[in-house]
Amino acid sequence: MAEMKKAEPPKDVSQYKGIMVYLDSFEGKLTRAAHEMIGVGRKMADKVKEPCIGVVIGDKVDSMADDAGKYGCDEVYGFESHDLSMYRSRPFTDILSSMVFEKKPNILIVPGTKNGRDLAARTAVRVQSGLTADCMEIDVEPETDILIARRPDYGDSTMSEIRCEKHRPQMATSRPGTFDLPPYDEKRSFKKEIRKVELKKDQLREEILSFKPKGGEDITVSKVLVSGGLGMGNADGLKLIEQLASIMGGSYGVTRPVADLGWAPRDHQVGQTGKIVRPDLYIAAGISGKPQHIVGMMDSKTVIAVNKDPDAEITRYSDYVINGDLYEILPVFIEELKKRKKMKDKN
Amino acid sequence: MIELALHLVVLIKVVPDGKEVFVDPVTFTLNRSMATNIINPADENALEAALQIKDQTDAKVTVMTMAPPFAEPFLMECMSRGADEAVLISDRAVAGSDTYPTSLTVAAAIKKMGDVDIVFAGEKTSDSSTGHVGPGVAEFIGAELASYSRKVTYENGYVTAERELENGIEEVRIPTPAVVTILTDSNDPRRATLRKKIDAMKRGIITWSLADINIPADWVGLRSSPTVVKKMLPFPRKDRKGEKIEKEKIPELIDNLVKSGVIRVEAE
Ligand SMILES: Cc1cc2nc3c(=O)[nH]c(=O)nc-3n(C[C@H](O)[C@H](O)[C@H](O)COP(=O)(O)OP(=O)(O)OC[C@H]3O[C@@H](n4cnc5c(N)ncnc54)[C@H](O)[C@@H]3O)c2cc1C
Ligand SMILES: Cc1cc2nc3c(=O)[nH]c(=O)nc-3n(C[C@H](O)[C@H](O)[C@H](O)COP(=O)(O)OP(=O)(O)OC[C@H]3O[C@@H](n4cnc5c(N)ncnc54)[C@H](O)[C@@H]3O)c2cc1C
Repeated sequence: MAEMKKAEPPKDVSQYKGIMVYLDSFEGKLTRAAHEMIGVGRKMADKVKEPCIGVVIGDKVDSMADDAGKYGCDEVYGFESHDLSMYRSRPFTDILSSMVFEKKPNILIVPGTKNGRDLAARTAVRVQSGLTADCMEIDVEPETDILIARRPDYGDSTMSEIRCEKHRPQMATSRPGTFDLPPYDEKRSFKKEIRKVELKKDQLREEILSFKPKGGEDITVSKVLVSGGLGMGNADGLKLIEQLASIMGGSYGVTRPVADLGWAPRDHQVGQTGKIVRPDLYIAAGISGKPQHIVGMMDSKTVIAVNKDPDAEITRYSDYVINGDLYEILPVFIEELKKRKKMKDKN
Repeated sequence: MIELALHLVVLIKVVPDGKEVFVDPVTFTLNRSMATNIINPADENALEAALQIKDQTDAKVTVMTMAPPFAEPFLMECMSRGADEAVLISDRAVAGSDTYPTSLTVAAAIKKMGDVDIVFAGEKTSDSSTGHVGPGVAEFIGAELASYSRKVTYENGYVTAERELENGIEEVRIPTPAVVTILTDSNDPRRATLRKKIDAMKRGIITWSLADINIPADWVGLRSSPTVVKKMLPFPRKDRKGEKIEKEKIPELIDNLVKSGVIRVEAE
């Protein structure tokens, strides 16, 4: 529990050193988002020549700690207890905050998964510091040790740069999928320390009754995504989108208004308030290309736009542009792909 | 044993209607002057979640917001849907607060009420969308927290909630006092009724200043916010070549994509 007080900045910020990375995990494995954050932390650590410090919490953390070291942490602290096999807001906040008080990191970055955001928001209050959410860019200014955190805005076409100059640690979260994965180095050396924790009853008031894994596909891991926007004109249009996606072994995405209209489940929404994806191939059909959609897909390897309007914004963000009605263009893709499949079958 | 009525508090924020918002390029704050305002969508679901508990149990529902007086009609709307009481925390000093002082101020008002069992917040707002305020309030008041929840029920001092995570649905049980943050679209908010609206007009809105909740003015506002918006930058444009492909050339494009490994064609 935090004190009911204003956020008091430390007198001497120069005591705060190092980049701490919270390592979010699920079923004994670090999440992809955690790996992304190790990459971000590693880059900043190299820039300011300070250590990248990983913190992992779970019931068995040894192999996750090794993983974090091989992906780029210089020091990894693991906290182990049977009561911590799944995320629980209070004890995780207690542990991460105690590491902040012990190690005094200058920067603390947390994967922006739902549990990560829960943890980061509580921890920021507990340690009396500032937290910037959903950063698209995270960097450090070597001369000042100041974290540069940039997040998209609500309106069109701008990003805000947010700083936390007086309080420490300077905190940030990013949506999963925002960054590339760092390289893995089997031979990297790092320091590892595993601590067993005994939790008190009042830390464990939250009881997890059940966990049901979500069925359905996770569009953030698909190599191929075909997305449909309002240009589909109606809910049935999704069938065509899905058909093309499935022929390529991929899944489908949609824009926010399409999800708002109930034409597709929210899980498939791509963008600032949906998922961030980076597939090998992204086909945007009937999508205008507003910034809030673009932030969700702009790191795709190859982008193809199919749009009636030759000047639609999406064309700027696309490698290939096919001008025309998606109801005429997509069937051509489907036919052509079917032909190639049949040829493979014969061989 | 006599069960006292539950006290449920719903936090709401009035936000600009998505399509019309923009950030003031001079002050780096949200310019609302051009936009029509709405109740943050997730907060409508938070109110509905609280009202559903009130349908089952003897409970009092208070809606609360920290905002300038322009928020009053939205508090009235919440009472017209079934909230019993509305509190507006309004004070010039809070202008420019980031999520730390916002959570602190809201938490102080909850503490002043003294008897709060469950606080309902939205998972996030549709404008700055940090999702920090619910967890921040839980931390300040020392309550248990179930974030990103839908289907919230109450029984004998415990709240059960379904947390919707990226990879599954987790059912948790926490004792009161509790904070739950409610997912957008997780229920169907009920409509206002004329009778409740007339009642609401009779009851009116309770307004508190910072002094009323024992928060010194220099604990809040822009100057006591750890984060500061420093500048606005153009959206990072990663322009691509946008090569035009005629419909007749699609087979060729597909061949190239297959050759470069972007598309894999597996036999059926
Ligand atoms: C705070 C905030 C958050 C947001 N978050 C997201 C988000 O996460 N994801 C998101 O996608 N949006 C988001 N938006 C909404 C975003 O600003 C746009 O409104 C939205 O992306 C537009 O969707 P669209 O491209 O499907 O529709 P439109 O902008 O209406 O575009 C439709 C396009 O289809 C083309 N078209 C029409 N008919 C055909 C046809 N038969 N064949 C081919 N092309 C055709 C048109 O030329 C047009 O380019 C957000 C907005 C705000 C304010
Ligand atoms: C461009 C820009 C970027 C910003 N980025 C950040 C940032 O990264 N970090 C940061 O700390 N601040 C940031 N802020 C400040 C932030 O907008 C305010 O602190 C705001 O009052 C609360 O944040 P939110 O809208 O994200 O609320 P959220 O935390 O998303 O709100 C969640 C829920 O809390 C409740 N709630 C929120 N606000 C109120 C209120 N005023 N009264 C009652 N209940 C409420 C509602 O139930 C709401 O659904 C930014 C502001 C601007 C202009």
